[in-house]
Amino acid sequence: MVEPILFVLMSMAALAGAVTVVAARNPVYSAMGLLGTLFSVAVLYVLQLAHLVAAVQVIVYAGAVLTLFLFVIMLIGVDKEEHWEEPLRYQRSFVAGMAGVVVLMAAGLTFFTDFDWVPAAVGGTDPSRTIGTVQAIAEPMFTDWVLAFEATALLLTIAAAGAIALAHYRRRPH
Amino acid sequence: MITPEISWLAILPELGLALGAAAVLLVEVQWKPRAQVLGMVVAGALTIALAFTVVQWIRAQDAVAGAGQLGDLVAFSRMILMDGFAVFGRFALLVTTAIGITAGWRLIEGLGRRRAEALALILLASAGFSIMVSANNLVMVFLGLEVGSIALYVLAGMTRSSSTSDEAALKYFLLGSFASAIFIYGVALIYAGTGQFEILAIRSFFSAFIVTSPGVILIGIALMIVGLGFKVSAAPFHAWAPDVYQGAPAGFVGYMAAVAKIAGFAAIARILITGLGDLEVNWLPVVAGISALSMVGGSLLALVQADIRRMLAYSSVATAGFVMTGVVGGATSGVLFYVAVYALQLVGSFAVVAAVSGPANSASSMDEYQGLATRSPGLAAGFTILLLGMAGLPLTSGFVAKFGVFSDAWSAGYQWLVIVAVLASVLAFAVYLRVVVNMYMSDAEGPTLEVPDTARWVLMIAAAATIIWGILPGSLLDLASSAFPL
Repeated sequence: MVEPILFVLMSMAALAGAVTVVAARNPVYSAMGLLGTLFSVAVLYVLQLAHLVAAVQVIVYAGAVLTLFLFVIMLIGVDKEEHWEEPLRYQRSFVAGMAGVVVLMAAGLTFFTDFDWVPAAVGGTDPSRTIGTVQAIAEPMFTDWVLAFEATALLLTIAAAGAIALAHYRRRPH
Repeated sequence: MITPEISWLAILPELGLALGAAAVLLVEVQWKPRAQVLGMVVAGALTIALAFTVVQWIRAQDAVAGAGQLGDLVAFSRMILMDGFAVFGRFALLVTTAIGITAGWRLIEGLGRRRAEALALILLASAGFSIMVSANNLVMVFLGLEVGSIALYVLAGMTRSSSTSDEAALKYFLLGSFASAIFIYGVALIYAGTGQFEILAIRSFFSAFIVTSPGVILIGIALMIVGLGFKVSAAPFHAWAPDVYQGAPAGFVGYMAAVAKIAGFAAIARILITGLGDLEVNWLPVVAGISALSMVGGSLLALVQADIRRMLAYSSVATAGFVMTGVVGGATSGVLFYVAVYALQLVGSFAVVAAVSGPANSASSMDEYQGLATRSPGLAAGFTILLLGMAGLPLTSGFVAKFGVFSDAWSAGYQWLVIVAVLASVLAFAVYLRVVVNMYMSDAEGPTLEVPDTARWVLMIAAAATIIWGILPGSLLDLASSAFPL
């Protein structure tokens, strides 16, 4: 009984955080909303027995990435005047309406049709595969998924080279 | 002790590209050489990668002919493939990369010390897209897509001196990230529905089971089509294309557009036709609709553009629609042939744009092409051949490609789509003819044009390929038709 209650609570917290990120006018509040979402999702990972992913989520995302965000926000300046004129009027209400329609459709599908969210779960119930310890994740990561793991190295190289390529530009003095 | 399953041959082309990128960066740091030296490093990496794709091709053909094991073509714990389809896609990507770098050489030289990063990013983008065309696992498809796309976002913003380039990069980055997120959501739903990431395993899943309520799988397919449709700039997911094609540095746009199209369509063909072929009743109408919308909408919008780059952008939307008819027809090799042929024409066309209005410039008004035939006869003639090739005039490679995909769609029962496609082709013809008329029938303004040698070579290669494969398509068609997926 604990699991569904925690799930509902944490999902709602995650959603509330996500809404704060886009709705808050002060970017620091947005960052705090993101923090809330990241923490709630970490709890959801624990519910799925993915302990390592949950820990990584808290350490890397909530810890490192969010601090970086806050640094950037502080560097740019929190108290700057912002222009809030929307080029497209009613843009936000339109998006909110669309989101409502999607949620209603999903709810309708779930409750009134024979829609099946997991129609053919063939794998998944093997208990040794559902425990997200470091070992359980490291083994497939460095055997079956080693190529995917190495491919992410390309991403890091691109990030470094791209940052230099974009930031190293100097306007010629005239 | 568990050891990973490693088969080097399957990833040697990508490895060559990645090591080439690393070498370019290190050589630049250590010796700060002239641009030509970096060019030679890049040429070496591309040559090595091409050589390995040839080895892979021989291996794949042997395996299909029965001289080897088909299972040998599935490598790295079924993550990556070297079947004919993957190898042909890799080859097309590498050739496009080589020609794209040549076409953008004047721009790369002009970047000063940032040229090493630009070259490294191009090589890494090609490595990513090369993973994408040969991936058997949807996660690998996503990784390849991201590696390639993120490098392209940076390339779009390389000329920092103009704000349009920044704007193009930012737009491409924001919209592209959304598209990637939508794609990976689709992958997650497919996994929820089938318990599989592997394209080949998904195929066997659907041939073994009939899913009675496939709702979540259908949503997954729809999201994947949206994500990949964005990458190949098919309507209605094309909104970014004109701004990016116009704002990004002309020296890179041809390359960026061409490799994204090759990899995107290879992934679409493999995922939809190979992986989800048994569910085609569900996705065929959607893809046919996207195809029709892209062809008609792209051609109509291209007709009214005053800027040649926006015109080329909308015409590439239309071309995405034409290629999609091949997906509808279930023609994997036809799709690959079309994008390979179109990639060359696109790179060549943007080499012309870069030569006429400067490699870093962003505005390329149609007026600049008035009387181009007197200002630079060679450039105008080459561009005319490429434009006619894109239009699909008989005796050009574009005609062979179009005929191939249209006939497949026709025999698949989508006659209405072929009729729409032929009508849209007529419309597209008017688009390209407008430029040709502009070049030949109006008076020249401005002095004789200085055309860089690199642009001349690129144009000659692209135009020669367009004509040779138009008159004698046999050799490439044979190659493409033995390039079927496992």
